[in-house]
Amino acid sequence: MSEPLLPPVRVEQALRLLPELEALGPLRALLVSTSLPDERALWSSSGPYLTLGKRGVQPEELRGRMPQAFHRITAHLQMLYEAYVAALESQQRGDGAGAVAALLHAGRVEEGVGRLLQAGAWYEVALGVSAALQDRRPEVESLGALGRLALELGQYAAGARHFQRSLALAEAEFDQVGAIAACEGLGDAALSQGEWSGARAWYARGLRLAEASAALRAVGRLERQLGVLARKQGDVAAAGEHLRRARERLEAAGAPEEVARVLSAQGQLDAELGRHGAAAAAYREALAWVQRGPRDAALELSIRISLAELQLAAGRLLEADEELRRAEQLAIAGNLTRRLTEIYTLMGRLRGAQDDETGFVFFEQAIELSKLLDRTPAAEAQVYLEYGLFRERVGQREEARAYLERAREIFDSLGEAVARERVDAELRKMSA
Amino acid sequence: MTRPISTEPSPLLPAPPRTPDARRCQVLVVAPEAGDGTVQSLGQWAGDAGLDVEAAADLPRAVRQLAARRWDVVLAILGERPDEELSWWADALRGAAGTPRLLAAAHAPSMGLALRGEKLGVLDLLSLPLRRDDLLKALRRVLAAATEVPVPLPEVRHQAVGPYALVGQSPAMLEVYKLTARVAASSATVLIQGESGTGKEVVARAIHLNGAKAAGSFVAVNCAAIPENLLESELFGHEKGAFTGAIMRKMGRFEQAAGGTLFLDEIADMSLALQSKILRAVQEREIERVGGTETLPVDVRLIAATNRDLQAAIAQGRFREDLYYRLAVVTIRLPKLTDRGDDLVLLTAYFVRHFAERYGKQIGVISDRALELLRSHPWLGNVRELRNVVERAVIVATDDMLRAEHLPEELRGAEAALAERPQAALPTLAELEARHIARVLAHTNGQVGAAAEILGIHRNTLTRKMKEYGL
Repeated sequence: MSEPLLPPVRVEQALRLLPELEALGPLRALLVSTSLPDERALWSSSGPYLTLGKRGVQPEELRGRMPQAFHRITAHLQMLYEAYVAALESQQRGDGAGAVAALLHAGRVEEGVGRLLQAGAWYEVALGVSAALQDRRPEVESLGALGRLALELGQYAAGARHFQRSLALAEAEFDQVGAIAACEGLGDAALSQGEWSGARAWYARGLRLAEASAALRAVGRLERQLGVLARKQGDVAAAGEHLRRARERLEAAGAPEEVARVLSAQGQLDAELGRHGAAAAAYREALAWVQRGPRDAALELSIRISLAELQLAAGRLLEADEELRRAEQLAIAGNLTRRLTEIYTLMGRLRGAQDDETGFVFFEQAIELSKLLDRTPAAEAQVYLEYGLFRERVGQREEARAYLERAREIFDSLGEAVARERVDAELRKMSA
Repeated sequence: MTRPISTEPSPLLPAPPRTPDARRCQVLVVAPEAGDGTVQSLGQWAGDAGLDVEAAADLPRAVRQLAARRWDVVLAILGERPDEELSWWADALRGAAGTPRLLAAAHAPSMGLALRGEKLGVLDLLSLPLRRDDLLKALRRVLAAATEVPVPLPEVRHQAVGPYALVGQSPAMLEVYKLTARVAASSATVLIQGESGTGKEVVARAIHLNGAKAAGSFVAVNCAAIPENLLESELFGHEKGAFTGAIMRKMGRFEQAAGGTLFLDEIADMSLALQSKILRAVQEREIERVGGTETLPVDVRLIAATNRDLQAAIAQGRFREDLYYRLAVVTIRLPKLTDRGDDLVLLTAYFVRHFAERYGKQIGVISDRALELLRSHPWLGNVRELRNVVERAVIVATDDMLRAEHLPEELRGAEAALAERPQAALPTLAELEARHIARVLAHTNGQVGAAAEILGIHRNTLTRKMKEYGL
């Protein structure tokens, strides 16, 4: 007779057993994606507060999935090794551009599995090789890759520097594609730093170049970004017009994932205007376009989070909760655990809207995850800010103040002036 | 006194059909442009089958059309990834107006796909190439759903318990009420046992409100919800700097509940170390804050609850036996919803009114089909699950009747089996006759002549029976 199955180990306990070693990163990811909510807890009173830490892992299940994980790790390493050998062969042939292409490919492979710092290392080597070449296009491409990565990591100034250099080289080489990408990157860097006029100028310049070279996808993307910018500046009519044009171009270009991004931006515009029905319809259509394109769980997750935020803002708490649970499942299964911090912060905010004190568990989980998985101080500060607002809402003013001050401290150290100003405003409101 | 529960049709006239034309079913068929002639076939069948058919090339375009107006049915032709596509379809329909039903068609559908479809609330899964008879049979079920018969919601007498209420008059609940009343008068520690969602916290609150400490606070702690490393400080409080994150001195739940009741929910989820500390608090009536040295007296009534089998947990060494005996001075066992008979109807009526008020809706009746689906559901989550289902249904309801289409996919998936399901409580011949007449009247949009013709009786006989049954 087989032995009775022991209850699963909770993820919070399982993670405590795992040392902070880079080599164990894939195991951590496997552990998280293997975890399941305890069936018995689904309808229990703790069910609504279920977080990643409270999910369960069966060691046997983990062992059973290990061969797949080893296979993925081996395949990943194989791609990296092959890229390196390809670079080496190119070097041997005196084909510098080929070497750069192989190194950039390796970086993209790393980026594809979320290893951003490792990707950066490959791109730096590629840049070093490309700098010695007569043909400057590989250097344009390397700088572009580094620029995009820097933006992804929230290093906007560094990203802008890479794109500036990339643009100068691209223009000297009459490299239209490189120049368009550099303008787009510079626009994104400016947009992220709240420099609206700079962003507009870069996007407009990129758009002119893209239109001249009939690059439909680039035209669509830049129109979308101009739409996003116009929305942020409060020019609703212009935003709508840019997004309409973006959609038209991208549909014609047959780029479903880009159409999804446009519709997501449209949803945000509608949401800001209080047109909840239209916003929800835009998000739903965006999700439908995601399904048509190549699998992109990160994009789907972003749209689902936006949809949940919309429902939360509209007071449709039950639907918001359901959407957040779908997003949570997607993040866990798709190894997008960094986004869990955001999801749990929203779940906490949702409980705050219900005056439910036990909602604090979501913020605690978000803080833990931001330290364990995300490791970006900005994400942690954002959680503290929302946690402070939650504590205030449930009548715990002293704790609220302490969390807001912690958020201010972090934002201050990061030089995030806009976010710090928001915290200051909340603190002033509390003192009034 | 609560009125007896009626499952008879309402004296109201049957609700008018939801489509502009009672005989035409609005179908959106979604098939790739280079399809296999499905759209063309449907176009040919539409006229005599009473269908208004429109086509969309793909999911994104269908979503746009779904947002533009109401549809009765979406027929999705699945491609090469049918499982995945089915999930996307179910997701897309969640946001559609009027909650259209999903029909799916696939090449050689597997059993797995059929089961998945059932779980996602797909009305039917058809095989490609589409056969006219199969399609019409599936569509007939959609039309049948449009002729749901309204059943009035019974009046419910409930006992308010803080933000909750005790609802039900089944013998099992009557026993719970009696025991609750007896134990409330004493100061004994109480252990409440029952499956998830049976209302343990509501009973705990009732004990508190009817006991000697009613003037004090009722403080509830969900032991399973709180991360293990925070639970101790949550219960006993902490001093500033006791651990990372202890930014200030914090009062624990024991202190907050002083002079009142502390309700420890899901107590079996507590670690053994913490169980020892709870035992000490129960025995000595004193606690210490985490990182503190001062001993604080506590004056609280303790009520604990669990959905686990504590005896088994003791046998496995996961729960302290001495703590169990300290907590289980009196034990109240709550019944499962499926063991509470017609309480389900009373609870449904209570929740419908409760949420209709919250969401500003006017819902006075539930359809017979919706009620049947509710009755046939296994309710693993008991009253909590029912509450969620009703809240969701009230949110999506658009008129004064709560219909089967307002229920979630998991329940609607069972619709296909409904006709074959043996009745739990066998109805009388008169009940059956009344329901059938009401159903036919709904189908004929209240036209007595047409209904009499379908029923094969004289118009005068039908009028007499309508009067007799209050239709």
